[in-house]
Amino acid sequence: MNYEMLDISGDAGIRAAGASLREAFEAAATGMYSLITDLGGVREDRIVQVSAGSESPEGLLVGFLNELVFHFDAYGFIGKRVEIKQMEMENNGRGSLKADVYGEEFDPGRHSRGLLIKAATYHGLAVEKKDGLWSLDVIFDT
Amino acid sequence: MAVQTLKRIDEFRIGIPDTWVPGMRVPGVIYLDAVLGEGLEERAIKQVANVATLPGIVKASLAMPDIHMGYGFAIGGVAAFGQQDGVISPGGVGYDINCGVRLLKSNLKAGTVAPRLRELLGVLYDEVPSGVGSKGKLRLDREELEKVMALGARWAVSKGMGSLADLERTESGGSMEGADPSLVSMKARERGHSQIGSLGSGNHFLEIQKVDEIYDEQAAAKLGLFQGQVTVMIHTGSRGFGHQVCTDFLEVMEQAVKKYGIILPDRELACAPMNSREARDYLGAMRAAANYAWANRHAIMHWTREAFMRVMGMGPKDLGMEMVYDVAHNVAKMEDHMVDGRMMKLAVHRKGATRAFPPGHPELPGIYKETGQPVLVPGDMGRASFVLLGTQRAMEETWGSTCHGAGRVLSRHEALRRARGRSIYRELEDRGIIVMSAGKQTLAEEMPEAYKDISNVVDVVQGAGLSTKVARLLPMGVVKG
Repeated sequence: MNYEMLDISGDAGIRAAGASLREAFEAAATGMYSLITDLGGVREDRIVQVSAGSESPEGLLVGFLNELVFHFDAYGFIGKRVEIKQMEMENNGRGSLKADVYGEEFDPGRHSRGLLIKAATYHGLAVEKKDGLWSLDVIFDT
Repeated sequence: MAVQTLKRIDEFRIGIPDTWVPGMRVPGVIYLDAVLGEGLEERAIKQVANVATLPGIVKASLAMPDIHMGYGFAIGGVAAFGQQDGVISPGGVGYDINCGVRLLKSNLKAGTVAPRLRELLGVLYDEVPSGVGSKGKLRLDREELEKVMALGARWAVSKGMGSLADLERTESGGSMEGADPSLVSMKARERGHSQIGSLGSGNHFLEIQKVDEIYDEQAAAKLGLFQGQVTVMIHTGSRGFGHQVCTDFLEVMEQAVKKYGIILPDRELACAPMNSREARDYLGAMRAAANYAWANRHAIMHWTREAFMRVMGMGPKDLGMEMVYDVAHNVAKMEDHMVDGRMMKLAVHRKGATRAFPPGHPELPGIYKETGQPVLVPGDMGRASFVLLGTQRAMEETWGSTCHGAGRVLSRHEALRRARGRSIYRELEDRGIIVMSAGKQTLAEEMPEAYKDISNVVDVVQGAGLSTKVARLLPMGVVKG
C-alpha cells in the first residue's frame, strides 16, 4: 500500500497516495491501522462494512477514518485490508462511500500494541491531486 | 509583510500583539521564561493568536508554560467567552474531555512500600487495564451508563466505591451539573460501555510516588502531605466515550460555523454562539463525558486502594489512602469572573490547563477554603510531579488557571529514534523507577527526554504568581498504557 508516516510534534499522521481518490482513501485507512498494530500479525477473518458521507472530500476522509476508529475502539475490530466498494463525489464537493474492511478482533496477547488513536482530525488535513496522483495528509490525535 | 515580534512583558510573560494574525479581537499572553521561550513553536504562537479571533473572547487569549501545538487551540490554552456574544468550541476542550489528575495520600513511608513495589505494580497492572485495545473490568449496561453520564463519580460511590469524602475533594464534586445523556450519540455509548476503570494509552499513567520535597510546610500539613510519604497519582480521562463526543460535535460545529456565518482561521476552531442549540447540546454532552471521566478515575482509585490493602495486608484506616484532590485539565465551564470591576458569567475553556482557584473561593470545599485549591501537575515518568495551590493572581489574570503538565518537546518519531538500541525500562530502573507498560513503543515515546523539564514549567507559574509550590513527588513505580 502507498502510505507513509508523518512525523509531527506529539502526534502521528499518515500521508497516503493513489492513482484514484478511492485508492488513496484505502491506503490512508490501511496506514491508520498500521499505526495501531503491526499488520503482518492481523488475519482476515471477518468483514466489517462501513459507510460515510460529508460535504467535502476532506470531511469524507475524516468521517471515514473515524468510522474505523469507532469500530476498533467500541468492538475491538482491527482491519488489515480495506476495499471501497462504492464512492460518489459530486461536483459541489459532497461525497459518500461504502467500504468492506477485512480483519479480525484485536487480541493484545497476539497483536503488537502501537498507538491508541482517539480520532482523525482536521488539523493539517489535505486532499490534493498532483500530477495525476491523489495525495492525502491526515493527522490523528493519539 | 512587516516582520512582527513578540513582546516580552516581564520575566514570565510574553505578549502577542493583536496584529499577529488578521481579525484578532484581543492580544495574546504566553507564560514563559527565557529558558522555555527558546522551545516555543511558531505554530503554537499562531494557534494562540487564532483563538484571539473568536467572537466574544474576553481580555486575552492565554497559554500556560507547558504550551505546545494542538488542534485548533494550543495545548496549554485558556480562553474565556462572554455569555452574550461569545462562543463554545469543542476544540478548546480537546478530544479527551476531562482528562485530569487525581492524587491519593497515605500513611505509608516510601521505605515500607519499596520491598513490595514490584508486587503492587503487578496487581495494579492487572486490576487497571491499560494500553491499546484494552477494556475495563466492568461492562456497563444501558441503564448504568446512563447513570454514569448523569452522576459521574457519584455513580461510583453509589456502587460502593470510595466515599462521600472523596467527592468533596473532587473538582465539581466529581459530578458536573447540566449533563444531558440524551445528547450523547449511540456511538459514544458503544465506546463507553466497557472502558470504565481503564487507563488508556499515551501519556496516561498510574504512579506510585514519594513526597521528596516540601516547599510550604504549613500548606503541606493542611493537605496531609509529609516528607517521605507514599502517594498515588492517576492521570486519565473519558476514554473513547469522550473522544467520540468530541468527534461527533466537531461535525455539528462545522455546520454551525456555516449557519451562523462565523469566520475562522482554522477549521479545528469550529464553534457555535453560546446561546445556540448547537452550543447547548455540546455542553450537555461534554458534561456527560466529564462525568464519565470522573467515574473512571474514581473506579481506578477504588481498585488501587484494594490493591494496596491486599498487598500491604493493611486495612483502610492504617493505609489512610485519602484523596488530596482531583482536577480536570480539558474542560469548558461556566464560571463567575470579575471583568473590569464587574462580575460576569464566562465560558472558560481550559485545554491542557488546570483550574487554580484562590483561598476563599466559594466553589472550594471547607477543607481547602483557607489554603486555596490544590493543583496537581503530573510530570514525565522519570522526573517529578508537583502539588501547587491556586492564587488570587491567577483568578485575576488567567480566569483562575495554571499549567497542567510538562508539555512535549520531541515528536513521537524523534523519541523513538533516540530510544533505538536503548532500554528505557532499564534506564529508569537504574534511577530507581520501576515501569510496567503494555506497549514497548509507548514507553519509548513517553521517555523523560521527550518532555520539557516539569520543574521549569512549575517555576514559571510560581514566578508569575499563578500558583505556589507545595510539594514535589518523585515516581517510584509507574503503570503506563
